[in-house]
Amino acid sequence: MELFTPEFGLVFWMFIAFLGLYFILSKYAWPFIIKSMDERAELIDNGVAYAQEAKQHLDNAKAEADKLVAEARGQQADILRDATKMRNQIIEDARGEAAVEAKKVAEAAQLSIEQSRRESEKQLRQEVSEIALQIAEKVLRSRISDDKAQQELVEKYLNEVETKN
Amino acid sequence: MKKVITAIIAVAVLALMAWGYTDAARHSHEGEAGMPAVKEIIFEHLGDSYGWEVPFSHSKRIPLPVIVRANDGSWHVFSSGRVTGGDTFEHFKIAHEGNYNNKVVEVLADGSEVRPIDLSITKNACGIFISALVVCLLVFGLKRWYVRNGLKAPRGGKGMLELVVDFVYGDTIKPIMGAEAPKYGPYLLTVFFFILTMNLLGLIVIFPGGANLTGNISVTLVLALCTFLITNFTGTKHYWKEILWPDVPMALKCPMPLMPIIEILGIFTKPIALMIRLFANMMSGHMVVIVFMLLIFIFTALFGVVAGGATSVLSLVLSLFMLILDTLVSFIQAYVFTILSTMFISMSHIHEEHEEKVK
Repeated sequence: MELFTPEFGLVFWMFIAFLGLYFILSKYAWPFIIKSMDERAELIDNGVAYAQEAKQHLDNAKAEADKLVAEARGQQADILRDATKMRNQIIEDARGEAAVEAKKVAEAAQLSIEQSRRESEKQLRQEVSEIALQIAEKVLRSRISDDKAQQELVEKYLNEVETKN
Repeated sequence: MKKVITAIIAVAVLALMAWGYTDAARHSHEGEAGMPAVKEIIFEHLGDSYGWEVPFSHSKRIPLPVIVRANDGSWHVFSSGRVTGGDTFEHFKIAHEGNYNNKVVEVLADGSEVRPIDLSITKNACGIFISALVVCLLVFGLKRWYVRNGLKAPRGGKGMLELVVDFVYGDTIKPIMGAEAPKYGPYLLTVFFFILTMNLLGLIVIFPGGANLTGNISVTLVLALCTFLITNFTGTKHYWKEILWPDVPMALKCPMPLMPIIEILGIFTKPIALMIRLFANMMSGHMVVIVFMLLIFIFTALFGVVAGGATSVLSLVLSLFMLILDTLVSFIQAYVFTILSTMFISMSHIHEEHEEKVK
């Protein structure tokens, strides 16, 4: 049974080849390959973890951004409301002030009108009385000798005219 | 495209069969077809030889160096071409009968034949070196990829190689060995790839392959011996305690050391089982394929050419199936050898605290 008996020469060469292969590969190849594969596995694991984290961050950021937008909207609405209120206030104020001013102006105008009317009345009365006096003088000079009685009479009539007005 | 390839292969197979059929018919016509020497053919294919068959030739051999130490202590190195065909060279010839069938023997002065110390680079030894070279090329190719491309994942064949490395190392050695994996990983990976390469090269019929390497007990002996040596020389104190004084009732070990004897036997049966398993699996695979092929010639011899021709179809299909199965077996056996070696080594590294944890 030559198949079942080990052959010395073959055992010898097999030993040499196997040990040689083992020493070469275990020194120069396997540790490097195993290290590289482990490193890559680690890199991939880290990458996955990083990606998950990043995704979470992104989700958080989105939520945060949404929150910020909502807040901003609220603020905007507030500001708008305030602005409207302020505008109305200003308009109201302006309106009030304008009314007061106008009233003042009107009052002042009335006053000045009154004054000028009075003055003009006074002037007119003077002028009228003077003119009347002159007329009367002229009339009386020619007709009446007693100037004084006639002037009193004229005065009396003028007063009557004035009260009628 | 696929259909075209299938058609071409089918036509080629049919043409080869037709050629063989006509050849056989011619031989039969000439009355040369006898019963083939089945046993010799099988053993020639399974065994070792001093030359390597040239593809498609029955007689031509690639000569390989014969290295022998003669009885008087001198070393002789010569080409195997000088002793094939029954020639004698410097008192050496290849015996064709007796105890040293197909081996180089020295013819002494008195005419008796003795077996010299034979370190010839035989077909199998040459095959071993070719396999080692192939493993080196594959593994260093993968290493070069990492050196050049850093942490990029390899593509194509290297990717497949890396997958296998990861399967053996990452999924098998690491879980079993734990922290010791980097120490013994290189040995186990070398064992795996060396066995796998030898298995697969054995399945290729022409030159670089065709040597029945792992189906040779010398080869598996060396592999099993290495595992045996590592297992027992790196074994912890606790491992030896478990063998010599195991934790069993006193009656089993005191007056009659029953358990220690069984355990000590176990030290040897484990590697022997490794050796026989790989050897028997691979040898039987080769043997079955050869037998299927020989069936053609046996049937031709028994029932004539037509029966042989009909058998050839069946034989071809069956041997093709066997070869595909052998490819699978090549992987499985390389893996089994590796995983068992891993377990034997890790089992010899048990520690006391490990034991307590289990309890």
